[in-house]
Amino acid sequence: MPIIQVEHVTKEYKLGQLTSLKQTVLNSINRLTGRPVEERKPFKALDDIHFSVDEGEVVGIIGHNGAGKSTLLKLLANIARPSSGSIKVKGKVAPLIEVGAGLVADLTGRENIYLNGAILGISKKEIGRKFDEIVGFAELEEFIDTPIKRYSSGMQVRLGFSIATSVESDVLIVDEVLAVGDLAFQRKCFDRMEDLIKRQGKTVLLVSHNIRQVERLCSRVILLNKGSVVSDGNANAVCTQFYEASDTQISSSPTSSLDLANKNECATGEILLRGIEILDTEDKPINSLRHKQAVKIRLDYEVTQELRAPVFGIGIHTTDFIYLATQQSAKQLKLEKLGIGQHRLTFDIPSFPFMPGVYSIRAGVAEGSTSRTLFYAENLLHLQVVLENAEDRIWNDGLVELSGSWAYTQPKISESTYD
Amino acid sequence: MTGILKNLIEYRELMAVLAWKNITLRYKQSYLGILWAVLKPIVLVLIFMVLRSFVGIDSGAIPYPILTYSALTIWIFFQESASEGVSSVVGNANLIRKIYFPREVFPLTSVITKLVELGISLFILAGLMAWYGIAPTWQILWLPLLVLNAMLAALTIAFIGSALNVYYRDVSTALPVLLSLIMYMSPVIYPLALVKDKLLIHQAAGEWSNVLYTVFTLNPLAGLIDAFQNITLRGLPPDAAAMMPGLVLTLVLLPFSYLYFKRAESYFADVV
Repeated sequence: MPIIQVEHVTKEYKLGQLTSLKQTVLNSINRLTGRPVEERKPFKALDDIHFSVDEGEVVGIIGHNGAGKSTLLKLLANIARPSSGSIKVKGKVAPLIEVGAGLVADLTGRENIYLNGAILGISKKEIGRKFDEIVGFAELEEFIDTPIKRYSSGMQVRLGFSIATSVESDVLIVDEVLAVGDLAFQRKCFDRMEDLIKRQGKTVLLVSHNIRQVERLCSRVILLNKGSVVSDGNANAVCTQFYEASDTQISSSPTSSLDLANKNECATGEILLRGIEILDTEDKPINSLRHKQAVKIRLDYEVTQELRAPVFGIGIHTTDFIYLATQQSAKQLKLEKLGIGQHRLTFDIPSFPFMPGVYSIRAGVAEGSTSRTLFYAENLLHLQVVLENAEDRIWNDGLVELSGSWAYTQPKISESTYD
Repeated sequence: MTGILKNLIEYRELMAVLAWKNITLRYKQSYLGILWAVLKPIVLVLIFMVLRSFVGIDSGAIPYPILTYSALTIWIFFQESASEGVSSVVGNANLIRKIYFPREVFPLTSVITKLVELGISLFILAGLMAWYGIAPTWQILWLPLLVLNAMLAALTIAFIGSALNVYYRDVSTALPVLLSLIMYMSPVIYPLALVKDKLLIHQAAGEWSNVLYTVFTLNPLAGLIDAFQNITLRGLPPDAAAMMPGLVLTLVLLPFSYLYFKRAESYFADVV
């Protein structure tokens, strides 16, 4: 039995300013007299969205900026209404759409807990019961009777998160709230979310740009693009599809991205990157490869001023900029100098070590004697590591294969145990 | 309309907390604090007394200062309930964009908040009555009904005004002008008896006099203020004839005002 039922929901906004009183009057006169009315253009933030969520499901909603994620959450939280279609939600919804919405600067932490609790629909009795827990989680015992305008922004967000997650509800709607506070508190928030999701069996809708987080927390992911559901299904499969989509979007304009790289603040202009390609063993350019495939990365540089002892570097990072591996040329390639003109470098990878997913390449050039950076850019080229059979991927494998070997030993059962 | 009663009960705790927040916030970091609720009518009374020394207003058997103070007690309650009700939705835009609860909570809370200040004002009125040696009679039992009447009148303005204010901020700008107009049209500075005397007894406007008096009493505050003075100071029951036109008008307009609010409500988050 679905707990959330979204049926053919469309949400339109009108573009542009609200009409002035004059225009409103003119429009109604025109409408009455049957003359054409000057209407503002509608914009479909959501276009015929249709899905349902079962009780206990944890659903991630991902998509690019402007895909309609937040609009969808607003409709589910009953803050806005759909232009057409219907949304049915059984049970109480707790929206964590922006933690700390409704915190009042002049009130103390204690007063804010009661106020915000009431706003979120927690009864006074319940807040009284949970008060210590809320304060404890936010780590604000000392400051609870201080007006929150004296709090640091981190403290305010901690308080907001702590109150919001103590709401007893059937459906939890979460919009990017995990990115709050310092690292230690983020860890705590994440653990609390995981506790709510995995152990208390709540139905959760989670919107995030952190795909890794979505992949980890959600069992099912809905990918939105320009207001429509593009795909809906297994978290890993949909996230991979999203990476692919991002990839095509980024790689559709390769020249401009190289131009951009050459103009960034780490590039002096003495050496310019003119081309970057991944090649297979037959020197054919590719953009997707298999795990452990042998590949080469080819870099075409143009030198505009003679360089002394240049050192080249290349690295692989994830799309969210975790640097995975780097190799530089200093020990392998002793170049005295590099004259003005075109130069080509290739980096040979006998066995590509990373697990299926989308990765990106960064590259840099430095002048050897002083280690002065001449060129450095990230996100130069996306490459996708694919599985032969995508359906095989049942769990998140991580980034690198852990080398090692398994062994099985039959436990030696001595006869005496049975005596 | 039954929805509003259900919500009133379901969200009473939220409204109580929001009202408490409004009061705490208003007087936090202010030296005189809640005394301001009393200072405003007192200053106005002083101004009216100066005015009266020039033009001469007959206040009947009741001393003029306490007569106007009594009028101002209920007038300020109405005026501030209405104006804060109108700006309540726009003023809580941050909540409206993030959290759902029935939006009528905002205008309702504004009115409830003002009840506290009314209470303080009544307390001072009781003190003044003791000072002038005016003893309350059983007629004082009308008080809750009169306050309810003022609340309904304020809500009639607040519902439609706050909804319109979301689309056109002109409303909150125009409202003070409208309200001060209503004040001069209400027996705040002068007693209703003067108007009654001019129009009904002396027939000052000829054959139009009775009609004009009905028009005057269509203002819900006209009869209400007079009734409030009756039950507190004169020991008389409310003048039903003076109250009826305004009360009927309020009861007719309030449902429309509320329905308009409920219809506009679903777009608040998109527009505000």
